[in-house]
Amino acid sequence: MSDNPKISINELSVSYDDGTQSLRHVCLDIPENAITALFGPSGGGKSTLLRTLNRLNDLLDVSISGEVILDNINIFDRNVDVISLRRRVGIVFAQPIPLPFSIRKNITYGLELAGERRRARLDDAVEGSLRASALWDEVKDRLNESAAALSGGQQQRLCIARVLALEPEVLLLDEPTSGLDPISTAKVEASLQILKQNYTVVIAPSSIQQTARIADFAVFMLQGELVEWGRSEDLFSSPREKQTEDYITGRFG
Amino acid sequence: MHLSRHHTERIAFVVIGLAAIVTAVPIVIVVGSIFLSGVEAVSWEFLLEMPRNGMRSGGIWPAIIGTVYLVVGTGLISIPLGITSAIYLSEYARDGHWTRVIRLAIVNLAGIPSVVYGLFGLGLFVLFLELGSSIVAACLTLSIMTIPIIISTAEEALRAVPQNFRVVSVGMGATRWQTIRRVVLPQALPGILTGVILGLNRAAGETAPILFTGAAFFLPKLPNSIFDQTMALPYHLFVISTQIPEMPIQIQYGTATVLLTFVLTMNILAASVRSWQRRKRQW
Repeated sequence: MSDNPKISINELSVSYDDGTQSLRHVCLDIPENAITALFGPSGGGKSTLLRTLNRLNDLLDVSISGEVILDNINIFDRNVDVISLRRRVGIVFAQPIPLPFSIRKNITYGLELAGERRRARLDDAVEGSLRASALWDEVKDRLNESAAALSGGQQQRLCIARVLALEPEVLLLDEPTSGLDPISTAKVEASLQILKQNYTVVIAPSSIQQTARIADFAVFMLQGELVEWGRSEDLFSSPREKQTEDYITGRFG
Repeated sequence: MHLSRHHTERIAFVVIGLAAIVTAVPIVIVVGSIFLSGVEAVSWEFLLEMPRNGMRSGGIWPAIIGTVYLVVGTGLISIPLGITSAIYLSEYARDGHWTRVIRLAIVNLAGIPSVVYGLFGLGLFVLFLELGSSIVAACLTLSIMTIPIIISTAEEALRAVPQNFRVVSVGMGATRWQTIRRVVLPQALPGILTGVILGLNRAAGETAPILFTGAAFFLPKLPNSIFDQTMALPYHLFVISTQIPEMPIQIQYGTATVLLTFVLTMNILAASVRSWQRRKRQW
């Protein structure tokens, strides 16, 4: 699709050690500066695919085969530094999980881990990332209050902000608006449209409608297999596969 | 006669309530009578003077300071060991043969009678390692007793921290150790402290483990080094209650009051740490 994909996934299979196969021979190119949306019924492997892209599945008992090439390097190579990989490929989860710190500390946490101590640099990151996730105006006067006191929608935008503060190259979002009201959802979607200018965004949207609204490229996944992918408008107007057509026209799901 | 449901309910309520009261009554009586009889014996002189006249007069200072030494020494050994073991079990170890063995050992250690610790300490630290009957041997023996308490409460506190915090932290580029130190440990700290206090509290109150390993019947002066013997409150209480004829009863009650106060204070401390934890927790 794109001449020079940011991420190139090749024959990727993932199975959990209890025997369940979560991904089967997935091949996919993810272009830079665009929103690639993984959609399909639950259990299709969307979360697993996202978590594989920054090797968060390493925490679980999984076996992985195939390759994920990020800027010409296979992320499963033995000499890849997982820590810096996760800084380059940030992830936002379905449930907003603020760390048990203040709003400010939630954002500076990742930078402090990386050794950043300059106060001005941290302050810039806090303001910049909160503006980018459309939360700044709501929290600028209470940065030192507990993040747990924020509403669900604010917490989710905080979770996006803290990933942005790390200035990743790739942003993974796993149903980031699943628990949000329509107004918060619209804010998050709007900020994604701005963010894609600087980032490679891979998202598992909460619904097929959201996929159609925000995606530049759409990827249909069903039971661990990639059924079809392409430009969002092409895929939704003229799907090549019968399964894709049945799903987007609402015949199953 | 047929009882209505309403009557059965009342009877059950009364029986259950009585049972609760019955368990509380002995504690109140014991603590109350000791405090009432002992409080008049307690004075600054009693607390801060050496015993005189075959311990029949004077104070209990060496026993108090000895118990402080033992608690501090036991803490220095068992807190780092206990907490690091708990971190290993909760954060690093995979469930398997090896961890099952460790957990089994911890559970069983907690159930061993304290005199067995004393004899074990005598065999290992006093005789085999040739530390002699000394503060250091007593602290090591007490540590074997407190470490399982600290490990099991600390592990429980660590496991109570939501797994999601760890996933999020690692997802932001933290190493496992950074995650433990910056996220998991601070959240588990109150629970860990509770375990530490309860463990050290037990060390402060036990007689049997120090009986053969470091406690002295009577010493004319305070210990000079960790290789000296020391007097200690619980053993001192045992000695003056059973081993010395014509012992004034006020001194016995006074000593018991001091020991009880020591132990109760630590328990109250543990309880307030727990309630602080509940207020502070954000999950």
